[in-house]
This record gives sequence, structure tokens and C-alpha cells, in this order.
Amino acid sequence: MLFLNTALEGLRLGLCYAVLAMALYVSYTILDFPDLSVEGNFPLGGVIGTIALYRLGLPPLLAVLLSFLSGALCGALMGLLHVKCRISKLLSGIIVMTGLISVTLALTQLLSRGLTVVYFNYIPNGVRGFFNAPFTAGFSSSAKTLYGVAVLLVFALAVKLLLDLFFATKAGFLLRAAGGNEQTVRTLGQDPGRIKMLGLMLSGGLVGVSGCLYAQMRLQYDNTSGAGKVVIALVAVIMGLSLFGRIPRVRPTTAVALGAILYSLALCFFTLIDRGGIYLKLFNAAFFAAVLILGENRLKFHTGWLKTLFSGKKRGGEKEETTDA
Amino acid sequence: MLELSHIRKTFTAGVDSVRVFEDFSLSLDAGCFLSVVGSNGSGKTTMLNLICGSVLPDAGRVFLDGRDVTALPEYRRFARVGRVYQDPSAGTVADMTVAENLALAHNKGRRYGLTRALPPSALAAMREEVAGLGVGLEDRMQVPVGRLSGGQRQALALLMATCTPIDLLVLDEHTAALDPKNAELLMKITDRIVREKRLTAVMVTHNLRYAVEYGDRLLMLDRGGIVLDARGEEKARLTTDDLLPLFGRISIECGN
Ligand SMILES: Nc1ncnc2c1ncn2[C@@H]1O[C@H](COP(=O)(O)OP(=O)(O)O)[C@@H](O)[C@H]1O
Ligand SMILES: [Mg+2]
Repeated sequence: MLFLNTALEGLRLGLCYAVLAMALYVSYTILDFPDLSVEGNFPLGGVIGTIALYRLGLPPLLAVLLSFLSGALCGALMGLLHVKCRISKLLSGIIVMTGLISVTLALTQLLSRGLTVVYFNYIPNGVRGFFNAPFTAGFSSSAKTLYGVAVLLVFALAVKLLLDLFFATKAGFLLRAAGGNEQTVRTLGQDPGRIKMLGLMLSGGLVGVSGCLYAQMRLQYDNTSGAGKVVIALVAVIMGLSLFGRIPRVRPTTAVALGAILYSLALCFFTLIDRGGIYLKLFNAAFFAAVLILGENRLKFHTGWLKTLFSGKKRGGEKEETTDA
Repeated sequence: MLELSHIRKTFTAGVDSVRVFEDFSLSLDAGCFLSVVGSNGSGKTTMLNLICGSVLPDAGRVFLDGRDVTALPEYRRFARVGRVYQDPSAGTVADMTVAENLALAHNKGRRYGLTRALPPSALAAMREEVAGLGVGLEDRMQVPVGRLSGGQRQALALLMATCTPIDLLVLDEHTAALDPKNAELLMKITDRIVREKRLTAVMVTHNLRYAVEYGDRLLMLDRGGIVLDARGEEKARLTTDDLLPLFGRISIECGN
């Protein structure tokens, strides 16, 4: 029972982080932009969503849309710093992240004076999010978790499908080109800076969505919820791509989402051992290092059998493209 | 079609400064295929960069098709200019497939919006198009460009640069990274495309023989100045033997 519950918890968290991982797939994998603003953008999405639900009384879907917009704005800001002001990628992210700490703190004051954590259940008239009353009225605790998994699955799938569709469009092709070779974009008569900005807005928006879903799912908004999210997202992306990225017909969006789920499962099972949560960040760091060390070389090798299983070819019978003349 | 007028260009890096052009002028008629040779560091690439807007002149003006484009940013100029670089990895996107690269190039001049980039129905026409290059790309449409040979990659870059209407084609030693056989093949393809599409072209080459055999005007640069400008009959009669003494002298002066 404990095992099953923990697995469901992990799945629910993983679906939430899947959206975050897909956001970083756009910025980190496609645009080669390790976006540190995530640490500020993620709680911003949470606080914006909570304000929309609690103070403005908006339906939860609108709260999610608003958090997308706030995230896109952060992406645009970071893009401007990098593209127009020529500040390096890392520093643009750090600047935005730092500024956002004050922004989210100020916004939190709209929810409750002096507090940095807002518990939905303690709010008098209730926050009408996806994961609490009236949606979950009368559900048992495990039914609530299952329901949470279902709702988040819908979101993660929707984001995945929309991203896949986007990457099949001309704009999506251009975004990939902007990440791969800026000069080619220029010779196509397009401004690579503008394309990058659009990509960062898309990615930032999805980070906001993930933050909003995270707050709703946990029934609490926490100002510090951004801490460590970059590492979580990068682990999901890198692990997902190296484990599942080379399997035919598995799209990168699916791969990074699976990476997020796998990692969240690991996290949840780890918290069973680490009750106090003291070693959680150490676990994160060690896991990240392990994924980076193994990711590029050994994981791919060890999952050769997965590849062959899915591609229906015999082991060792894979035909690699060669670089002939 | 193309005019560079009284260009001055100095590069400064710290205390060092390199004056590449003092007062450089060049004009090129529409439909002309110009070959450019010159010693290393004579300013050939800089001249192309000035034309494309990759580098801005300190003084002087650049005209394309009668329009003053001196202040136009690089990417805007490329709306009507195609360019193939010396480095095979420069003109194509390595982790996108041949078909994806071509789909991008075919849309040049139009909006890159939210419509489908590569409908399966477009593949057959594309395959035929690349088959015309004769480098075997038609069987590798779904292969990431990074896995192609240098020759295939440059041929694709050339096709991408010329598959939409352009006023000017700019080639910067685009055969230099290839082995002699593939370089020769790419040169033939280039000549055919330039003739068939009646393009105005500027080709910088390190190979004197190519400059002599191809193109209808030949320019030799040395330290930012034009030391030879042969066109029409005069160009047609030129042989590598005529060029060698002059080329040897400027090369030796430069120490290479
Ligand atoms: N971006 C640059 N910054 C500094 N110096 C440059 C730059 N581009 C070219 N130069 C210098 O200008 C001179 C001409 O270079 P270039 O035009 O590349 O010659 P080439 O004829 O060999 O193509 C060289 O001395 C080179 O070092
Ligand atoms: Mg050069």
C-alpha cells in the first residue's frame, strides 16, 4: 500500500515536472540556453495562479493561462537581456531570477500578509483549484491522488501534443534552426534574435504553467518552491533524452516527460528514507552528477536493448548511418 | 546589380589595427559571374562580408539592385542574397534532416508561421530536386545533415542558397574544404546553377584554375586593392599561366 501510494505520488509529481522538463527541452536542448530564471519563474507561476484563483476568483484553467503569460513575460525579459543587451545566457537568467524573488514576495503579500507559504485549505472561502473542492468533494484520499494524476496527465499530454505540433510548423523549424545554426537563420532572411526570444517566451510560459499546476496540486503556494527546480528539470531532460531519446518513434517531448516521471518516482521513494528532507538536495545533486556522468556514455549503451526492442530489429543488427562520400 | 563605392574598412583589436580597404570600389552588372582570387588576408572575405552586411564599412556605401543597403542589417539583406560559406557546417543546420533543411530554405522570403513545414506531399518534389545535384542526396532525405559528407553538405547549402529568387549569390571558397574530386564536382554544379538561373554571382576561390575556367569576369585582390580586373574577351583568353607570375608575386610579398 505504501509502495503504491508512493508510486502514485511520484507519478503525480512527475507529470507536473514533465511540463517543466518540456519547457527546458525548448530552452536548454533546442536553444542551448540553460535557463536559470526557472527558479524565479516557477514560483511566479504559482503565485500568479493562486492570486487568480483566490483573489480574482477565476476558474483554474484561466489561472493556468495567466501563469503562462507571466512566464512568457519573464522569458521575453531574459531574451531581451541576452539578445539586445548581449548579456551572457547564464547571467541573463540569474538577473531575472534574482529580480523575481522580490516580485513573488510582493505578490505573496496580496495573498497573506507576512507569510511566504499559503495553504489553500486554511483560506476561509477556499481556493477553487483543480485539485480541491468543489472538484474533489467527497473523494477519498487515494481517489484524490488518482484524480490528480488524471488531471495532470491531461495537461502534460496537451503540452506535449501542442509542442509536437509546433515543432512541425515553419516557426518550429526556424526555432530549431536558430538553436542549431544562427547564421543559417540569417541567410534565410530571418532575425535569429527574434526567433530566440519567441522560443524563450514559449519555454518561460511553460515553466509558469508548471509552477501553477505544482501549487494547485500541492494545495499550497510556497515562495521557496523555485529552489532546485533547474536541477530537477535538467536531470529530467538529460536523463530522458539519453534513456529514451534514441528509441525510434519516441519524440523528444515524450522522452523528457518520461525522464521527469522517472526522476520524480526516485525522489518520492527517497523521501521515504529521508523523512526529514535533510538530504533531498544532496540526493538531487548526486543524481544530477550521476546522470551527467553516465548520461552521455553508458546509459545509451545499456539501453541498446531498449532500442532494439522498440525498433523490432535484432540486437547488433542496427544499421547506423555512415558518413560516406 | 552590385556596387561597392569608396569603401573604407579598418579592423581594430586592442592596439592593433588592420586596414583592409582604403578606398575600394567595385561594380558588378546583373547576370555577371565574377571570380575573385587573391593572397591570404587580401580582403576577399571582408569584401563579401561588406556586401552581405556581416561587416559594416567605416565609410562608403553598398548598393544592391540600385538600392542603398549600407544601413540594412545582415538578415534583411539576405532576403535577396544567397551565400555559401567555406565551412561546410556554416550553411546548413547539422541536426536537422536534408528534407527539413530544404523545407526551411524553400520558404525563404515568406512568413515562417504556424503552418506545416514539411507536408509528406512535398517530399517527392524535393527528392527530385536534390537528385539533380548528382551527389546522392536523394537517398538520404531523412538523414541529419551533420552526417553527410562535406561535398554533399556544400551541394545542399548551394541548393538552399539558390532555390528561391535572389539578386546575388555569394560564394566564399565554397570548395576549399573538399577533396579535389568533390571540389571539381561542386564547381560544375555551381556553374550549372548560376547559368540556368541566370544568377549574378561573386565567387571567391583559392583555385586559380577555377577562376580562369569559370565566370565571365576575374578580379585579383592584393592588400585591399584590385590588381587585375579582366572581363569579356580578355577574361576568356586568360590562362592560369598568365595569372601565375602576378599571383606568385603578391603571394610572396605576403610571405605565403
Ligand atoms: N572580424 C575581424 N576582426 C579583425 N580582423 C579581421 C576580421 N576579419 C578580417 N580581419 C583581418 O582583415 C584582413 C583580411 O581578411 P580576409 O578578408 O578574411 O582575407 P581573405 O582575403 O584571406 O579572405 C586580415 O588581416 C584579417 O586578419
Ligand atoms: Mg577568406
